[in-house]
Amino acid sequence: MLGILARLSTSRLLPLATAALSALMTVVPAAPARSDDARQTPPPRVNPNAKAIAGFQEEINEYVELHRILEKTLTPVPRDATPEMIDKFQRDLGRLVQQARKNARAGDVFESDARPVLRKLLAGLFNGPDGKKLRMAVAEENPGESVKLVVNGRYPDTIPLSSMPPQVLQTLPQLPAELEYRFIESTLILLDVHAHIIVDYMTGAVPK
Amino acid sequence: MRTSRALLAALLAVSLLYLAAVLPGASRIEARQAPQPEIPLPNREGSFKFAVLGDFGTGDRVQYELGDQMAKVHERFPFELVITVGDNIYGGERPQDMKKKFEEPYKALLSKGIKFYASLGNHDDRGQARYALFNMDGKTYYTFKAPGASVRFFALETDYLTPAQTSWFEKELASAGEDWKIPYFHHPLYSSGGRHGSHSDLATVLEPLFLKGGVSVVFAGHDHFYERVKPQKGITHFVTGSGGKLRRGDISKTTGLTAVGFDSDLAFLVAEIDGDRLFFNAISRTGAIIDSGVIERRKQE
Repeated sequence: MLGILARLSTSRLLPLATAALSALMTVVPAAPARSDDARQTPPPRVNPNAKAIAGFQEEINEYVELHRILEKTLTPVPRDATPEMIDKFQRDLGRLVQQARKNARAGDVFESDARPVLRKLLAGLFNGPDGKKLRMAVAEENPGESVKLVVNGRYPDTIPLSSMPPQVLQTLPQLPAELEYRFIESTLILLDVHAHIIVDYMTGAVPK
Repeated sequence: MRTSRALLAALLAVSLLYLAAVLPGASRIEARQAPQPEIPLPNREGSFKFAVLGDFGTGDRVQYELGDQMAKVHERFPFELVITVGDNIYGGERPQDMKKKFEEPYKALLSKGIKFYASLGNHDDRGQARYALFNMDGKTYYTFKAPGASVRFFALETDYLTPAQTSWFEKELASAGEDWKIPYFHHPLYSSGGRHGSHSDLATVLEPLFLKGGVSVVFAGHDHFYERVKPQKGITHFVTGSGGKLRRGDISKTTGLTAVGFDSDLAFLVAEIDGDRLFFNAISRTGAIIDSGVIERRKQE
């Protein structure tokens, strides 16, 4: 855990620390204050959920770092761009990401330790008191099987995005501006919103 | 003698129409099928006038026809800007799509310098935030002050309402000094749509902020019809989601929400803010006035 933290910059540490802290607070009972010799203090317990979330955040940060490096090689799009500029930038960035991650596989970002934790977080929501309305919100205009799940694949231009209920976004670890969570059927995807590319996906995110 | 009687009758008709539009409690007006020669709004010089359009970017003939109708209305009722409640472009968003589905249908308005301030729907690519003609300044949610009026608009991204966006909105609402604070976004908190309907997940988060922030009126789309919802906790909700798409007969009669509904043709809305009153007309593709009324500004809690 400390090794992971040491490799992160301060700006990347903040969301990670927040997520980890909140996960720790919810799962690990507070230890009583100790005044005895520090040498007798047992090594700090590491909450496995927090560690998994930290690992997921690290993968996110690595992806975004790559994204930003690639983005800087392109002519920036001004805030008052033409459709040609926007389209060219998006497709060029998509190609660069696809080339740079040509060996990417499902589970690279939603890594194996994080998946059960994220599923558990979502199950708490979807099986909770507001579960019915959240399921309805997620199901609405959910593209379902019309989107082929391919890591590094372009999200189809003609398929609308599923709406993400605010309660889901409050529960999942926060993402940098380059990425969004979306649902395709019950699968949670990570979408690169600048490149319009599916970065990774996790099946079984909405419990049956 | 006959001429003066006819003149008197015409004056009487116009006066009745105006009174029906402005008197409190007379905000529900039955849909009239015949095109109206005049816009029954005060149309006062110096008031702030704007239009609302949603779910429009199909590139289909009917979208162009509604665009033409908007331009015709603008000749008589010179609204200064248009706010869009999302689903600005359906399907592909290549440069040729942006022309066919936005620039050409509203060419007459754009050429007059009328600005469109977009919000995003679930069919919209986030790249639209940088499209010059949508005036979003690169942001998927943003706020701006109406020129020369005590009115502030808030374009929200309800398709992806993050905690960061909610905090931003709460802060901006609290610090806004304008009399009128008007949020607009894609997913309606209240709607009688059979296909979509009300979004209670969003209402849980946004409605308390609206109430606390002194919001009187909100505009949404998503359901492909026009509906004015009966005031909910004192706030009037409009669904203006038939700017290009239409879901005929989709307004459920059992929700008890509808003040006025129109789901048999495309429509847009024009509004005029004069002091503490917001006057509105919903207008169909053929120019029929389908709803008309006035909303009094709520005082902040």
